[in-house]
Amino acid sequence: MPKQIPWWIGGISMSLLFFFSFSTFGADRPIGASTGMAYLSTLLFGLNADSYIYTAEIEKSGAWEGVMLIGVFFGGLFMSIFVTKSFHISYIPTLWKERKNSSIKSRMIWSFIAGFLLVFGARLAGGCNAGHILSGGSQLAISGIIFAIIALGTGVITGRFFYKKKVCKNDR
Amino acid sequence: MIDRVTNMFNIVANGGHGSVWTVLFIGFLFGAIIMYSRLDKFEKMAGFMIFEDTLVPRMAMTTVALSSLGFYFLVQNGYATFAIKPILLGGLITGAIIFGIGLVILGKCPSAFFVSVSEGRVDAFVGVLGGMLGGAVFTLLYPWIKEFMGPNLGNLQVTQFFTEHSLLVVLIFSTILLVTAYFLPTLEYKDPADFKEK
Repeated sequence: MPKQIPWWIGGISMSLLFFFSFSTFGADRPIGASTGMAYLSTLLFGLNADSYIYTAEIEKSGAWEGVMLIGVFFGGLFMSIFVTKSFHISYIPTLWKERKNSSIKSRMIWSFIAGFLLVFGARLAGGCNAGHILSGGSQLAISGIIFAIIALGTGVITGRFFYKKKVCKNDR
Repeated sequence: MIDRVTNMFNIVANGGHGSVWTVLFIGFLFGAIIMYSRLDKFEKMAGFMIFEDTLVPRMAMTTVALSSLGFYFLVQNGYATFAIKPILLGGLITGAIIFGIGLVILGKCPSAFFVSVSEGRVDAFVGVLGGMLGGAVFTLLYPWIKEFMGPNLGNLQVTQFFTEHSLLVVLIFSTILLVTAYFLPTLEYKDPADFKEK
């Protein structure tokens, strides 16, 4: 088995999965992830629907996405153990070492902050890459298109200031 | 907490959006595709925004191009209904900015970080913990934040402005994305960690 599929096979298989999930043959709703993430955090911190209006508002789609995220974890685990065989404990991505630093502490602190911003921002905007860009874009939703442009634009600008300049290597 | 977890499965079972097993299956495949195409890697997601790798835009454009056509026909034939998110302009813009900053620093999105955790990446796990706190803080502050999320411009779709020619609009949209995906240059960041002898 190859250890990685090319972008076009990835894109085709992803859209097949989207057809299944979106149609009445599957779940009759598009895929999303960040509502599920927020829902799981209300489980963890005990923020019940009785006392918190947000939990009550997202309860239905949050529960769906929460269950889906459990599947996502096991899907990744299955592939990383049996197919890509890439399961190993690691702390810092290679590109981070190249363009930022080699400090585990720094990577962990930034990961925590970035994870916080990611979910907080996604909830504020009402969706994330999956819900807004992939599912929203596929339905030609204007909210999704606005989100894609602003989020990716901000990402590119932030990346420019946050990381070191690209190192020029002869072999690339 | 155990009550709420049981409750979560009950909500899904009675929610009318597929059985618990269907939802788990969808998630499983979603995670498997993310993992197999390596979409979860920092080098792919952050790498795309710092111009080291073009897998993410090409794959995402292909997905959206094919799905937009497929979704259109599914809805036309009554096998699906659109679920359009509203344009809450204030929340959408500030949220997208905050999300973009988080995305380029963590280098994974809110489903890919679970996939990364399943591959043994501790930094992704820390990102999930940060995300848990982010979700909780949002829930706590929501009654106050809600005031600033508007104005609501409605659940709009591009096709709604061209009702007579909606198929044509979808076709053009899809073609532009596919062509762009095809002609984007192949940049690939080969992570030495993936090519180590085990």
